[in-house]
Amino acid sequence: MIEVEKLSKTFTVHKKEPGLKASLKSLFVREKIDKHAVREVSFRIDEGEIVGVVGANGAGKTTLVKMLAGIIHPTSGEARVLGFRPWERARDFTRQIALLMGQKAQLWWDLPAADSFLLLKEIYQIPDATFREALDYLVSVLDAKEQLTIQVRRLSLGERMKMELIAALLHSPRIVYLDEPTLGLDLTAQRAIRDFILRYRETHRPAMILTSHYMEDIERLCKRILIVREGELVFDGSLDQVVQTYADHKVVTAHLHKRPEPVLETPELRALGQVDACNDVMIKLRVPRPRVAEVAGELLKRYPVADLSIEEVDVGTIIERIIRARKEADTAGVRR
Amino acid sequence: MRLFWKIAGIEARKRMAYRTDFWLNSIVAFVTELGVAYFLVLAMFGASDRMGGYSRNGMLLYYVSVILTARLVRPADLEWAISDDIYQGALNRYLLYPVSYGVMKYATQIGALFPAIVQVTLFGAWVPFVLGVPEGLHVTPVSACMAAGAILVANLLHFLTVYPIQLVAFWADNCWSLLVAHRLVVMVFGGLLLPLTLFPAWSQPIMNALPFKYMFAFPVDALLGRLTPGEYAAGLGIALGWCAAGAVLTALVWRRGTLQYTGVGI
Repeated sequence: MIEVEKLSKTFTVHKKEPGLKASLKSLFVREKIDKHAVREVSFRIDEGEIVGVVGANGAGKTTLVKMLAGIIHPTSGEARVLGFRPWERARDFTRQIALLMGQKAQLWWDLPAADSFLLLKEIYQIPDATFREALDYLVSVLDAKEQLTIQVRRLSLGERMKMELIAALLHSPRIVYLDEPTLGLDLTAQRAIRDFILRYRETHRPAMILTSHYMEDIERLCKRILIVREGELVFDGSLDQVVQTYADHKVVTAHLHKRPEPVLETPELRALGQVDACNDVMIKLRVPRPRVAEVAGELLKRYPVADLSIEEVDVGTIIERIIRARKEADTAGVRR
Repeated sequence: MRLFWKIAGIEARKRMAYRTDFWLNSIVAFVTELGVAYFLVLAMFGASDRMGGYSRNGMLLYYVSVILTARLVRPADLEWAISDDIYQGALNRYLLYPVSYGVMKYATQIGALFPAIVQVTLFGAWVPFVLGVPEGLHVTPVSACMAAGAILVANLLHFLTVYPIQLVAFWADNCWSLLVAHRLVVMVFGGLLLPLTLFPAWSQPIMNALPFKYMFAFPVDALLGRLTPGEYAAGLGIALGWCAAGAVLTALVWRRGTLQYTGVGI
């Protein structure tokens, strides 16, 4: 459904130093800088897949999505979405895609969402019965009936995002791009949006690309992730694979029956694993995977353990580490 | 076509959603414009009886007509809307739709025409009773129909001259000063500031060939019965020719411009 081959985008931006003198100078001479937002990215996404694109701010995630939605042209490379070149914006292509940008409202601000939906019905030429069915389904799943007739600008952020989702999905797109769909939402609204996306995927099977800074979005919604750093694709694989490959240890936490004395970070304790915390109620260790069972046994034997948990390292931390490791490797390469 | 009218309908509703603004815009703007026109005519005429083929009342009627016509020719603040969409990245959503952006924007302009018609009707209805139809001018149902046709063409022409200028925002981000220059040129050479008959005789053929006259002065001349059927047909032909040129230019600039578009942010 989505095939991307060595796709790149370079923006030319103008550099301007602060201050009046620099402002005057820039009226005559401006320094141009090439900003490589996306560099030779290649991947493929099939029907029904939700793929998370992860990276720091300015890593090129949104640029990548904008190219695949046909909003901007690439500098080089090739992409086919449903067999179309996105940036040629063929009518049959735009009719089958949707892009939801968490930071930009797509709906008409001064009108109730219901009016916008009627307009979208005409834009996408949705037959009456199909429109009614799609709208009823989306409104009921998102529990948004009450807000349909309220001016969009008067809705809360969470309510507005529900309306944006309805607007994006009314025409049952086969490709859905979600750029930070839960940005700024409270936990309840985030959860509602995530649940909805999962449910929608089950019933409609579109290919989805999701960018988000919230790791919970990625963990809950995506089985596969693309990690982007400074425009380069540094990892493409399953979330499980990330954990197995890059998290060589697990976190073992022993909650203790309250003791008069705190547990000390002795050489014997350090021999079990890297000590993250130890006090009178808890010991938290990072333990290499092969030694987890042995260390758990030792803790149970040596301390008055009330409860014991063994957890994978937080995915966000692993991704951060992958990105940092690549950066350090690149820096070292440059130095050599 | 159904979509076109749907968009127009939505824009009309949007324009009338804010009642206070609608009435303030109607009353304050009209009173100000008409007041300025009245004192301008008084100052222009002084002791003279006729000027540029108009009597004092005739000139007042010209100004009232041209002010009302301008409301219909450029009914919305769309002179900035397209460049704003580019500058702020709001163009993104339109690029996702399987519909031409230009058509959507023109439908918006037509939608804004509806509340403008309400305003013009409310504030134009008293004019014949106050000013009457001065000698030498012939406002008839036929001239009113001719004016209506000329206003529709003028509306399209104004849109198609300001549209390619706004697309400069693809390269320059901000093309505000270009749009101000366009507004000024259109006001002077379109007959909004002064009737074009006040300009020297040698400049008349040039103004007849340029598009600006057909935006304001031409529909007013049609309304006031100052055009023969031949002059009217020739004028509409020239205006439509400029519309075609504007459409071609817009298509070319749009194609090049979208290659530059960044959609704001990286």
